[in-house]
Amino acid sequence: MPRPQPRTITFTIDGLEVQAPENSMLVDAAKHGDIEIPVFCYEPKLGNPVGACRMCLVEVEGIPKLQTGCSTPVKDGMVVHTQSERVKTAQNAVVEFLLINHPLDCPVCDKGGECPLQDITFGWGKGTSRFIEPKRHFVKPLELSPLIAIDRERCILCYRCVRFSQEVSEDYQLVLQERGAHSYVTTFDGHPYVAPFSGNIVELCPVGALTSRAYRFRARPWDIEDAGSICTLCPAQCNVSFTVRDERVVRVLARQHPDVDDGWLCDKGRFAYQAIHVEERITEPLVRDGGELRPASWERALQEAAAGLRRAGPRTAALAGGASTNEEGLLLARFMREGLHSEHLDTLAGLDPAELHRLSEPELQATVPDLEFAHTVLVIGTEPVRDIPILDLRIRKGVRRRAVKLAVATPHASSLDAGARLALRYAPGADAAFLQALAEALYGGEVEQAARAAEADAEQLRALAELLRTGGEEIVILYGQRVLAGGGAETLLKLARGLNLHGHDGAGLLAVPAGGPNGRGLLEAGFAPGYGPGLQALPSGETAALGAEGIRAALDAGELGALYLLHTDPLRSELPHEQWSAALESASTVIAHASYLTDGLRAHANVVFPAESYAEKEGTIVHPDGRLQRLRPAIGRQGATRAEWSVIAELAQLCGLDLGVPSGSAASQQLFDAVPFYAGLTLEEIGGRGVRWQERDAAAAFPAPSSGRASAQATRPIPGANGAHPPTPTPISLWDAPEVEFSPSLKFLHRERVSA
Amino acid sequence: MTEPLLFADIDEPGLNTLDVYARRGGYESLRKALTSTPEAVLHELEASGLRGRGGAGFAMGKKVSFLPKGSMDKYLVCNADESEPGTFKDRELMQKCPHMLIEGIVIASYAAGASRSFIYIRGEYQLQADMLDAALVEARNAGYVGENILGSGHSLSLVVHRGAGAYICGEETGLLDSLEGKRGNPRLKPPFPANQGLYQGPTLINNVETLSTVPTIIRIGGEKYAKLGVETSTGTKLVSVSGHVQRPGNYEIELGIPSREIIYGLAGGPPEGRQVKCWFPGGSSSPVLTAEELDVPYDFNSLAQAGTMLGSGAIIVVDDSTPILDVALKVAKFYAHESCGKCTPCREGTNWTVKVLQRIEDGQATPMDLDIMASVQEHIIGNCLCVLGDAMAMPIGSMIAKFRDEFEVHIESRQLSPVGASRALEVAGA
Amino acid sequence: MSAFEEAERELVERTAFARAGAARQVPRYDHGSRVPGWDQAADLDKDPAEIPDPDTTPVPDDLRAEIEAHMANYPDRRSATLPALAAAQRVHGWCSPEAIDQVACVMRVTPAYLASVATFYDMLETTPVGRHSVYVCTNISCSLCGADELYAAIRAAAGEDTEFNVRAFECLGACDIAPMASVDGVYVGPLSVEDVPQLLDDVRAGRPVLPDKQLARRLVADPRANSREFPLHPIEAGAAAGSVEGELERRS
Repeated sequence: MPRPQPRTITFTIDGLEVQAPENSMLVDAAKHGDIEIPVFCYEPKLGNPVGACRMCLVEVEGIPKLQTGCSTPVKDGMVVHTQSERVKTAQNAVVEFLLINHPLDCPVCDKGGECPLQDITFGWGKGTSRFIEPKRHFVKPLELSPLIAIDRERCILCYRCVRFSQEVSEDYQLVLQERGAHSYVTTFDGHPYVAPFSGNIVELCPVGALTSRAYRFRARPWDIEDAGSICTLCPAQCNVSFTVRDERVVRVLARQHPDVDDGWLCDKGRFAYQAIHVEERITEPLVRDGGELRPASWERALQEAAAGLRRAGPRTAALAGGASTNEEGLLLARFMREGLHSEHLDTLAGLDPAELHRLSEPELQATVPDLEFAHTVLVIGTEPVRDIPILDLRIRKGVRRRAVKLAVATPHASSLDAGARLALRYAPGADAAFLQALAEALYGGEVEQAARAAEADAEQLRALAELLRTGGEEIVILYGQRVLAGGGAETLLKLARGLNLHGHDGAGLLAVPAGGPNGRGLLEAGFAPGYGPGLQALPSGETAALGAEGIRAALDAGELGALYLLHTDPLRSELPHEQWSAALESASTVIAHASYLTDGLRAHANVVFPAESYAEKEGTIVHPDGRLQRLRPAIGRQGATRAEWSVIAELAQLCGLDLGVPSGSAASQQLFDAVPFYAGLTLEEIGGRGVRWQERDAAAAFPAPSSGRASAQATRPIPGANGAHPPTPTPISLWDAPEVEFSPSLKFLHRERVSA
Repeated sequence: MTEPLLFADIDEPGLNTLDVYARRGGYESLRKALTSTPEAVLHELEASGLRGRGGAGFAMGKKVSFLPKGSMDKYLVCNADESEPGTFKDRELMQKCPHMLIEGIVIASYAAGASRSFIYIRGEYQLQADMLDAALVEARNAGYVGENILGSGHSLSLVVHRGAGAYICGEETGLLDSLEGKRGNPRLKPPFPANQGLYQGPTLINNVETLSTVPTIIRIGGEKYAKLGVETSTGTKLVSVSGHVQRPGNYEIELGIPSREIIYGLAGGPPEGRQVKCWFPGGSSSPVLTAEELDVPYDFNSLAQAGTMLGSGAIIVVDDSTPILDVALKVAKFYAHESCGKCTPCREGTNWTVKVLQRIEDGQATPMDLDIMASVQEHIIGNCLCVLGDAMAMPIGSMIAKFRDEFEVHIESRQLSPVGASRALEVAGA
Repeated sequence: MSAFEEAERELVERTAFARAGAARQVPRYDHGSRVPGWDQAADLDKDPAEIPDPDTTPVPDDLRAEIEAHMANYPDRRSATLPALAAAQRVHGWCSPEAIDQVACVMRVTPAYLASVATFYDMLETTPVGRHSVYVCTNISCSLCGADELYAAIRAAAGEDTEFNVRAFECLGACDIAPMASVDGVYVGPLSVEDVPQLLDDVRAGRPVLPDKQLARRLVADPRANSREFPLHPIEAGAAAGSVEGELERRS
């Protein structure tokens, strides 16, 4: 769909000639002239303006009544007054009205100091009130959910929170009841407001009516510092701002990025910061001693780990995941290849890098905003709210606001079904078979049989094919990387070709990485079997490079001796638990970087290095759509934790390899030099907003994939001819994570999700 | 005026049935309309000069012409949420001559190109809604509503939708939200319903009386209709007269006659021995007029010039036996109760006004409170999302302006009571 | 008495108590009073209220059929919200959480959405109320004619009778018969305090309420609207109004 390309117009505001995009709302247009029009209810993220609070009344010449600046589109030649007597009277009046039923309990209010109502009262209010009737008082604060407290006295009925629940997250749990001045925000019959994105209402509230129970009374705005970084708890990589007080993260706020998160956070991203400062966190090296992991000095831990790795040498394998940065991936890959002469490195996803290479072509890459502006979005093999939550909101936005045609194809019911034109089901594990059936439907093949193989409905498949064929050429396919196994990748590429997604602006593929939040970055940094930095295929060595499944088998067979786990634990994944347990048992040395002692590490690790939390880390990561984003440390490393790039470098040193990284930024520089299509990048260029490498000239250096390259290994078995599908593990929700488990206020969610 | 148009033989037994209605020439206007083009029907409506009978008085033909042309789904909604205090004319029409409304709706939908229509009737009007439903069954069976009406190719579905008790649903955009199954909160305008109304589609919204007039206009012709009444207020109007009058009820008048003729001539004036103190010319939302203003011609423009409005055509007469404070408090409480709560000045301003009036009633006020209250009304007027806030502020403002003396006397006499005096001191000292 | 019987009796008593309380005082309609709910916190032991699961939310067949018929009337099923809630209220006596859950289940919306709508409208009851509604118009025209005294008299006469839901209502659109009331949907007026005992007795006995004072039987006040002489009201039984009722009955 064509995206708005507003022309610039000139209008006059308070005597100033100002240029602004045509049809932008006066409230926004005024900012181009450095003029602020006060607002409460206006929040473009929530959809169309509602004009409820009446704070933004301005005078527009030629219109007799005062107009709401939030809903009046600016036109060329418009003359606007925000300072006239009439406007001031109206502004004073609205502030006076709002304060009638507001308790003015600012001294004990969490919002005090960062409260729009305070600011606007000061800036646009009269400073006096003529209201002498008794104010109403209610019990407060009350629990609205385990995460949120509500103070109904303070509420100014701006509608933001209920609009969020109804028009953004579409959970429709938070509503207004009653009418007029009796209206109040509530849920149905005393049920708590528990939904994946509920925390956003705290940030939306322009007064202290909705507060975070985790943050309540933890700090005053003048006690805190803001530190911008990236949330690395899932592949969505939302931009966040850490609120830091005394070297502790006490809150996470959204740092709105229209091309990444649209200004929203999921509750995990908003509240899991608490797990940074918990007892369970590993903050010093652990070494297995008499069967138990016990705290040890850095020197001893490094020596033990190096000894184990040296012993195993080429018989070492490495698995990375979690929030591993590109730099960590690059350095660990170099250490493995150059120091230990091992080619066995992968993420737990165990995908064929040759296929990933072909799917990563810049011309095929869809971006996050494409989800919103496409004609058609096909979600396949992923449940966004579970795998990459913030995109769930983006898809809903496209459907709601831009009439994007949505089709969902998943093994289980999806929360997006309700808004979808088509919701298709297929058998768990039959992703590849389903893609094949879709291809048959699109290209006039034998649909019935293919549909049966996937246990999908042939009629619906035809309808989906019809939708893709005729629904407009801008098609975005959001797929879980699980669908790539068993020939799925090949079919997906075929579909992309057939639907002409290649090189078509606004169309393309978008992957939900299976290899952790930075799955894409690890691949691009060369942390993949047989592939070096920049997706450059390495010459095959004497032994084949093993992927995850190969590593497991080789460990089991005693062909590998040591395993290096960077932010990952196979026993806390969807992989077969018993087989991996046996494999870990067989390993003579297991070295791990981790923040929490998960099952696999507790049972099998020989050395555990404390991992930095995402608020402590520096480095870069890559968003699934190719945006490089920069992590900046918000707080000091906790306890004895050291920068992990330096731990890898020290280990390499102890094994006789100088990685040549004196600093974190030097590691980044090494990455930019090593990946041809990152050439010339700097941390400054990435800055606070990130940069998509596909949009830089260096993208031309993306190596052309050779189409028929035999993969290093068969990643997954192929469905049997009789239509039986291989047993597939239940996907692990990102809500089922140590960060959720260990955050005091999220514990209830963990229990709920796990039991569900 | 010689013959009533809308009320012609309105109490004829069985007029609510299709048999009697058709025997009296019912649905002939529809036949006539369907044989001409929608443009020609629209022309008649425009020529009639008919202004909306719901309250705002917007030219009906013009409203129809605002609907975009094209093949998209268009809607016609009949506003039968008659809830302006003092108004009960639509009730009479729907109860006694439901087919006239249905006929008007079908003709208007033809002119507007609407294919779906709804009658949004207030939930309290159960009898009238039942009558409409019954009439609708007859009309459908006779082919006046439904697919390919009378072979014209024009199709229209019609559903009687019952509200559930909220004054604000009489506001056209609040009505649309309510009809969509939501809380009846008014919407921001623009976009206007003609462009984005029901289900975001182009929508024509008209009052019962307006639509019920349409068959007459088609029958006698727009130009002839326009000869009735006065230049800017054509035609006849149903006026509901209530309060302190001897013969309360609905009267069909030709617009432009002196108001005195309605209040005294038709409705018999106040009871013996009492005088008119003030009167609302167009429902409780209209600023009050005094006994000195009884000769204002009853039409849109004359009333506007007198600083008030014709509104829904509901005259409420208050005689000298009732303190103005009682009237003000009743009116203010009503609007506070009915404010939807969406916009600040209305939600807070109506409640503030009630509290001050209550304090006056309780003898705890000072004359300064009158100034504050007057200023609060000024702060409401023109600053709200819809007109509900203004609908309280205008009459209350007019009462303070026209009856300030009486308010002050009341305040002072009550203050002499011990409770009031101590409270007044407290307030003054605070 | 078995434990079950005891529990049941307690439930009945509690409900009766709640009803009596509600009949005495419906806070929302006593202008300016406190609203129930403001002081209510969420119960953190409850699950979030999502769209009810049809497998665990039984809905009476009649109610389901009626709601589905309403939904079919509109391009958007949500338009059926008001008629659906009204139907559920007829079944359950009020828009109880259970009633709302049932409507939500059929309409596939969240119960919160419905509760939000239900509390907006005066005719939808969100607390338990008496079976028979008596809405007394106390707006301007009626109160000028003595509606406040009438309301007080009806409240006093209905007293603790939990069968009645007596409420002061905003303008009911019948100022020509002021002061008036809508008794189970039937408009009667002009009423005087003397009419009150018969009004309540008629309701209790299941008779048509104050037949001579029903609005349905009145003629238009305008003398020129008819060929008959003015004043025309009230009329004799069996005339126009009678035929209206008969007509409706015949059709249904």
